[in-house]
Amino acid sequence: MKILGIYNIKGGVGKTAAAVNLAYLAACEGYRTLVWDLDPQAAATYYFRIKPNVKGGSKKLIKGKTEADEHIKGTDYENLDLLPADFSYRNMDLTLGDAKKPAQQLIKLLRPLSYAYDLLVLDCPPSISLVSENVFRAADGLVVPTIPTTLSVRTYEQLKDFFQKHDLAGLNLMPFFSMVDRRKNMHQKVMQELPERFPETLDAAIPYASDVERMGIYRTPLNAYDAHAPAALAYERLWAEIKARTGI
Amino acid sequence: MPVNSQLQAQQHRLDPEADPEKIVGALSDRFNLAAEHERILDSVYFDSFDWRLYLAGGLLHEEREAGARRLVWTPMDEAAPPVTYPLPGEVPRFAWDLPPSPLRARIAPLLEMRALLPQAQVRVSRRTFRVLDDEEKTVLRLLFESSEARPPMGGETQALDNRLRLLPVRGYPEPLAQVQKALAQLQLKAPEQNPLAEALTALGRKPVEYSSKLNFSFDPNTRADQAAKAIHLHLLNTIEVNIAGTKADLDSEFLHDLRVAVRRTRSALTQVKGVFEDAVVQRYKEGFGWVGQVTGPTRDMHVYLLEFEDYRKALPERFRADLDPLHRFLEEHQKSAHRQLVKDLNSPHFRTLLKTWRQFLESPPPKRPQAPKAALPIVEVAGQRIWRSYKKVMQDGSSLTPDSPAERLHELRKDCKKLRYLIEFFSSLYTEAKIKPLIKSLKRLLDALGSFQDLEVQADKLRDLAHQMADEGKVPADTLLAMGMLVDGLLRRQQAARGEFDARFADFSESKNRRLFKTLFSPAARSDENPGHL
Ligand SMILES: Nc1ncnc2c1ncn2[C@@H]1O[C@H](COP(=O)(O)OP(=O)(O)O)[C@@H](O)[C@H]1O
Ligand SMILES: [Mg+2]
Repeated sequence: MKILGIYNIKGGVGKTAAAVNLAYLAACEGYRTLVWDLDPQAAATYYFRIKPNVKGGSKKLIKGKTEADEHIKGTDYENLDLLPADFSYRNMDLTLGDAKKPAQQLIKLLRPLSYAYDLLVLDCPPSISLVSENVFRAADGLVVPTIPTTLSVRTYEQLKDFFQKHDLAGLNLMPFFSMVDRRKNMHQKVMQELPERFPETLDAAIPYASDVERMGIYRTPLNAYDAHAPAALAYERLWAEIKARTGI
Repeated sequence: MPVNSQLQAQQHRLDPEADPEKIVGALSDRFNLAAEHERILDSVYFDSFDWRLYLAGGLLHEEREAGARRLVWTPMDEAAPPVTYPLPGEVPRFAWDLPPSPLRARIAPLLEMRALLPQAQVRVSRRTFRVLDDEEKTVLRLLFESSEARPPMGGETQALDNRLRLLPVRGYPEPLAQVQKALAQLQLKAPEQNPLAEALTALGRKPVEYSSKLNFSFDPNTRADQAAKAIHLHLLNTIEVNIAGTKADLDSEFLHDLRVAVRRTRSALTQVKGVFEDAVVQRYKEGFGWVGQVTGPTRDMHVYLLEFEDYRKALPERFRADLDPLHRFLEEHQKSAHRQLVKDLNSPHFRTLLKTWRQFLESPPPKRPQAPKAALPIVEVAGQRIWRSYKKVMQDGSSLTPDSPAERLHELRKDCKKLRYLIEFFSSLYTEAKIKPLIKSLKRLLDALGSFQDLEVQADKLRDLAHQMADEGKVPADTLLAMGMLVDGLLRRQQAARGEFDARFADFSESKNRRLFKTLFSPAARSDENPGHL
């Protein structure tokens, strides 16, 4: 099983949209795929029409009193399952902090799933926390949706700094441009500059599109209801690049 | 695990006149059902000739629907849902020709060099009803299916039982339980077989029709000549069912199995002594010796082609491309060797050999046999032969020193093979728990001897090939140099295998095994009061 983290310190940058569509595309290709919605706001869970509810919450899960396996729900799509979000996840940091090796709890918890799934997609909450550090340690690759603004560039720099300091420099970082509006000068400028400074930047970019927003109305992955929409095709290119980069 | 058992697809047989509308109607008061349009799915089930996927617990079928193709892997026992893979083109003959995918990763190690062959066609008309919860999410699927089966290459269709399948969604046990409860009142029956087995049964076949393994079960008092005939008949059947696949060169394993059966036949002829008349033994020993010979060149080429990827990888990256001309050469020569092989297999000589051999094997044993041991109980003859063969292996093996010439090890390998075949023919006469560890230890010894000899043979043969390529002209010097590196590597590995042999022989001849051989096969053991199950 390969693990992909979808992460950014900031919210509202397209993490969940990417997690849902990438997972859907992987499942279509026959990867037995599991999405774990780690964000207590439960957006991914909502897209799949599943109730955000994990019996016993993150506490019992992390303490090993319940197994991840028990909470998994099948989505409406072949090969695609979800480990839902739960309101208790907002305290996950504290629970992790109480555990013995706080930064390695997720790996431990995920190990039993490694034969049942080919791919695990972690939809992360924003911010740097113990939860995200766990994700960094578990993931084979970290996909970082980035809106092409000057501010985002700084955020990405900070993230790389953090990895340097925390012995995570080996992590396979895959920033990509999200919610791109090519009419905006700043977007164009940043899209020029960032790849020069950070050659790990992926080529595929997701345009700002109302199709993506409508996922919230249809509660369906974009690629499932309009596979030919420009944004859907962009997600396909993104997925192809991630596969090549990670050897999934 | 309770969670997993929910996943098992629930299936019901439906009477042909059972009306899906009625069933759905009965359910629609209590469940929020969404109907999908009817789908026609054309499926072809695939497996290797020796049913490797089925034996590993999975069904693989290609599903075509409106121009799209999918491959579906359905685990049979394991409580896991089917996994679907899009397929860009035809189902390839070999797993390694599939695009890199989780499916390939799963089935390639099972299939190895065996070809995927169509086993049955099934056309399914499917009406799906989804059970929705209050978020309009699918929590269960009801599939009404009527199906018909056809032989893999076409032919008459056979109707199969209509089915109602409940496809649970992981994590939603309640709707499944509720629908099941509602259905219980309709008293539907569970189907007896998985879909492939059902289709094959309808077509007059069954899964796992073929295995190259030996599986005899003899009464110890069976007349020796009769037991020998049973063994030979089984081997002859194996030879015969592999002929078509060998001629078509579907994969290399048909010829391999055929050759193993031929070798076993020759071994049984010469090793199970005194049960047939000398003239019979002489004639068929020669006959099958000829088969061994004429099938050899094609097998050699198969071996090199199968090993080729390893050869390539044994060289440093920058020399690998230098081997390409060798690959082309092997492919060409495999083709021409195979053409010759097909001629030989079509020859009257070969056909007569098999025909007369079968006539002999199927004729009743003579009342007063000429052969001295024909009428003895098989347990007697088997014990004698295994004991003799074992003593020879021990004698020759123990007298080997690190300086002994390679030929002595090759001789020992032959003797070990004879011993192994004998034990395998007659294992049913002995307690399984005792015979198993002996076979295992012997197999490991044989593996060590095998790689010792095979590496040398490959090295020698590669040198021959280099000469042959040079004689045929137009071989780049770089290719010859790369082949030289390969030869060198093979000979080095052979040296290492020599050490492996010493360790394996030590294991094989440890006192526990010696005692076991003695209690099972020595003359003293056989003259015991209780000749039955040893
Ligand atoms: N490419 C896009 N174009 C337009 N809207 C988008 C796009 N990607 C995401 N959105 C919308 O922006 C909001 C935040 O996106 P989301 O994926 O939930 O971000 P995050 O998970 O990073 O918080 C959502 O309402 C979503 O529909
Ligand atoms: Mg989100």
